[in-house]
Amino acid sequence: MLAEQIHDYLRTFFSVTDCEILEDTPNHLTVQLTSDIDKRIMNRPFYWQFVESTKAQPNPLKVTFITKRPENQEIRGEYIHYGSTRMHQIFQATKDLGSFVQLYENEEGASLFPWIGANFKVSYHTDQTKEMLFSLGINLIHGSVKSNFQDLLIGLKLTNELPRNAYCLPYIVSPMRAIERLETAIENYIANDDMTWADEAKKRWEREQEILDHFYVGVEEKPEIYEIEKKALEERFQPRIKIEIVSGGLFYLK
Amino acid sequence: MMIEKSSGWKEEFARRLNEGGPWDDWTLYKMAYDVVKDQLITDFSGLQAPKFLTNIQFLDHQIDAARTVIEKMNGKAILADEVGLGKTIEAGLILKEYILRGLVKKALILVPASLLTQWVDELNGKFSIPAIGCRKKNVPFEQYDFVVMSMDMAKRSPYREKIYEQDYDMIIIDEAHKLKNNKTQTYQFVQGLKKKFCLLLTATPIQNNIFEIFYLVSLLKPGHLGNIESFQAYFRKGKNGLQEDEYLKELVNQVMIRNRRQDTGIEWVGRHVETIPIQLTEEEQEVYGMIEHLKERINLYSNSFVMTTLLKEMCSSKEAAYLTLIKLKEKVQSREEREYIDEIIEKMSQLDVNSKAEKTYEIIQKAKEKVIIFTEYRATQLYLQWYLYQKGIKSVLFNGKFSKNKRDWMRKLFQDYADVLIATESGGEGINLQFCHHVINFDLPWNPMKIEQRIGRVHRFGQQSDVYIYNLAIQNTIEDRIIDLLTNKIDVFEKIVGDLDDILTNKVEERIYNSPNFVSNFHFEDYGLEDQLGFT
Repeated sequence: MLAEQIHDYLRTFFSVTDCEILEDTPNHLTVQLTSDIDKRIMNRPFYWQFVESTKAQPNPLKVTFITKRPENQEIRGEYIHYGSTRMHQIFQATKDLGSFVQLYENEEGASLFPWIGANFKVSYHTDQTKEMLFSLGINLIHGSVKSNFQDLLIGLKLTNELPRNAYCLPYIVSPMRAIERLETAIENYIANDDMTWADEAKKRWEREQEILDHFYVGVEEKPEIYEIEKKALEERFQPRIKIEIVSGGLFYLK
Repeated sequence: MMIEKSSGWKEEFARRLNEGGPWDDWTLYKMAYDVVKDQLITDFSGLQAPKFLTNIQFLDHQIDAARTVIEKMNGKAILADEVGLGKTIEAGLILKEYILRGLVKKALILVPASLLTQWVDELNGKFSIPAIGCRKKNVPFEQYDFVVMSMDMAKRSPYREKIYEQDYDMIIIDEAHKLKNNKTQTYQFVQGLKKKFCLLLTATPIQNNIFEIFYLVSLLKPGHLGNIESFQAYFRKGKNGLQEDEYLKELVNQVMIRNRRQDTGIEWVGRHVETIPIQLTEEEQEVYGMIEHLKERINLYSNSFVMTTLLKEMCSSKEAAYLTLIKLKEKVQSREEREYIDEIIEKMSQLDVNSKAEKTYEIIQKAKEKVIIFTEYRATQLYLQWYLYQKGIKSVLFNGKFSKNKRDWMRKLFQDYADVLIATESGGEGINLQFCHHVINFDLPWNPMKIEQRIGRVHRFGQQSDVYIYNLAIQNTIEDRIIDLLTNKIDVFEKIVGDLDDILTNKVEERIYNSPNFVSNFHFEDYGLEDQLGFT
């Protein structure tokens, strides 16, 4: 991400989370944080513990983030870039604050169908890793499943409040049941996916184990080092798949 | 196949549905989705880290090295780039990559004490890895995920035990050539560590003999080269023990990455190496001869290593030899022996010329630019400073024991004020002196890699002008032997590991002496140098 993109990101993030933006130049952004955001990104747990236990007036920080270091001036503040720890914390806060939604398509007087949308992160792990993101939606009236659901949602006008005179159809499939159906869809996808990666990893594992064993040929009582190494190999190579829902929600769409 | 489904989101969603909220903002929901998408590791191969490290300009060889280690060597490797090519950067990049992939959550970095601060600063500043340096006794390092500690501290109790209790995913060891001997406490400590991922950093993977490489490789891949007995047998058989070197070289390449300056596609300045023969004065020769005869005149424990040390010191300066002679006098039994030593000391104190120092002065005059002098002996160091001062030349000293602040200060003095820097061996670590391009090796070490490290202080990225190396060697003394031995070791290194830039002379074949005293006639045992053997 370039400096301008970081800057835009921060501006949006702070606006949406009600942190007042005091200064905004091409080089920096000065923000008055809310207590919530301060707790989430500024990494000062001891201060907040203190506030809690003494019931003191909380004093969230006012921070200047420098997105682009200017050539001649000196700005007092914190330089922030794509890989910095602070940015990482802000990304984490974004994820924490953007995981559960209930939204309505914004059209007066419309009849809205309930959908469950869920975003799945699937990871294939051995000594190497591959990750995929699947966005699925399921209609709670007729149970049909749509993929690339997020792309569909982005094109719509969505709002937190029920639009005027709009009517929400009651669901036939319950939301939790719907989520299970989506999970099954993901599992089916995985079941049919190419697993060559796992076989190749097992081959690498076997080879490494062979080399380890070769050293201890003829050794009756294998020393502790052997067991340690063997366990380390297993931890590293054992193929495993992780399925995680990173965000999702209930959507009422036309 | 293990499939792990995490249920955290589902449970929380159910709760919120039940309670009618609270619901997150649509904009943040979109942003969160984009963040996850952006951070995905989309392919089994290729690096993610450079995307996150836009503040570093990685050189091609560094990216290639990191990829090879991660994709082909499964995270266990010896990083053996030549000095000045950025092994620390490579290590940081590999560590960051594994962190981003969630494969490393805790790591331990073991370094020489003099480099601790540097490592902590680089990891934090360049790689945004929250590493802490553990210097003092009561740091609760077990609470931190990324710990940098000096090896000397880590291998001792109580740190050693606490370290074994932790579960480090990755171990990084800097200056790993210190692990060449499997009998040391350091080696055994490292051997006992669980090494899921492990990087050994050294510019000099072989210093004296090829068995060192066996021990290094064995740390990463126990058994990769068989056991030590069969390895030794394999290489001892036949007169020309190095015939099997092709096989060994291939094995070594499976666990080792070595980039050379010339491979990096960067323009490197040239290196000119000269070995300068020195002739002792008659008086100096006499004293040298008397020391040579000590072997016959003194009845001591059969370790003739002391004699060799004395000869080497005498070739450096009488000041260096003096202290050893005094200590020797305290150890001998008879009056005759003590008198003989006194005679030597007497003759020594009458010497008013140090031929090597004179030649050094000549070289400095001719160079007309700043010069670094490396010596093995503190006493010589002080003598040289005094000697040069008499000649109107200002110099600063440099020792490994200096704190970082003092070292920085000395460097500044050298740059702005003095013409000469006189450094002892350990001063060779951790300073960069690209503004200087003349190096005098006043004393030659037994180990060619030490010379390479010294040269690496000036012949590195950022050096603007060609570099001139002057190796001083006194004719008809033990320094003859050292040159021969160095030549042989360089030969071994090049056969097993790969080419080296010139260390001794630009023409490898050239021997400066026409004497018939070749290595094959040299009896190592006479000089207490059995450990210099390792092949043939």
